[in-house]
Amino acid sequence: MKKLALILCLFAGGLLLMNAHYLPMWGDPASPASTHVSPYFIENAYEHTKTPNMVAVVLADYRSYDTMFEAAVVLAAGFACFFLLRSRARGKKGGHHYYRHIPTGVTIKIEEGGKLPAENSKVFRSIDALWTPYDPIIQTTCRCLIPFLQIYSLYVLAHGHYSPGGGFQAGVVLGATIILLAISHNLKTSLKRMSERTAALWSIIGVFIFAGTGLLCLLLGMDYLNYEVLAPLLLSDEAMARSHSILIVEVGVTMAVMAVMVWIYYNLSSAGQQDEGL
Amino acid sequence: MIIFDIFIALLLAAGCVFLLGGALGILRMPDFYTRLHGASLLDTIALVCLLSASILYVLTRHPDVNGLITSLKIILIAVFVFITSPTATHAIADAGRRAGLKPWTRQNEEESP
Repeated sequence: MKKLALILCLFAGGLLLMNAHYLPMWGDPASPASTHVSPYFIENAYEHTKTPNMVAVVLADYRSYDTMFEAAVVLAAGFACFFLLRSRARGKKGGHHYYRHIPTGVTIKIEEGGKLPAENSKVFRSIDALWTPYDPIIQTTCRCLIPFLQIYSLYVLAHGHYSPGGGFQAGVVLGATIILLAISHNLKTSLKRMSERTAALWSIIGVFIFAGTGLLCLLLGMDYLNYEVLAPLLLSDEAMARSHSILIVEVGVTMAVMAVMVWIYYNLSSAGQQDEGL
Repeated sequence: MIIFDIFIALLLAAGCVFLLGGALGILRMPDFYTRLHGASLLDTIALVCLLSASILYVLTRHPDVNGLITSLKIILIAVFVFITSPTATHAIADAGRRAGLKPWTRQNEEESP
């Protein structure tokens, strides 16, 4: 089976390499992409959408099918991690567990096979096996930084029309803040702020916003993801409707990317148990 | 104006020297903690030099409100790096100490590679 896969890989790779010299040279001004595709976008992007950042226009308007399925691929990665790693056996992992007896403040170590306290016990609170005494420097710094990082990610999202940025980058920064919270405190703190259910819902809602915008265009009698027809709904003319729709789909992409990053981190860092993580 | 240009060039050169020193420190220092020390401190001072050079450049080339806003943004970068860089160094050094890595001395030089 492995040999067959190797032969197939070599065959496909060889086929691609053999035909590689038919491709235009990199940056060739006579290639079809440079003669009529790019000039069209460069000349008409601002007129069509009133958005100065051409990259955002190509990403979210002219090539929005591509971006929508990219968001769907991100969602699929989150689902794949969930189905591969997530286990229902919460707290049933091997090895020892640590619990804190709250009235006395004593830390108890329970060896493998020992009887664990109830999940919702008011007297015992479980703490991470890799528990280290909380570091006030790191915790305080992260707590002060996270709001700034989140505001910055929203700026990256909202400013995508004018400068480099947009949905994917904003989603990555926003997801990184939640992961920073999980690293600097612990996984439970992070799960309390944003549960796995929220992460899953957000990732699905994000893709749904993107696909729903396209579907709305279809229902109003235009092509899928042809934003011009949304002009009366967005109370603007056709060019501005495209500009606003770019922002709407970027919000969807941000939600999907952020939630999927957090979701994958939850599953990977705790090996699907989601009780103790890094 | 030429005085400012010379000053900017000096600051840039100083920043590059500090960065080079940091890189040399990572290569030449004997153990984890000393390497971390070289990397973090010299990177921070190099960043101060380079960012102040860019602030001066912006202010001399655009002495108006836009230049002022840009230089404020650069100062904001410096502030955030000043907060985060020592914290990251602290976290890494702390992790090394908790994992049981002994600091280098002349006595245990033979034992540890």
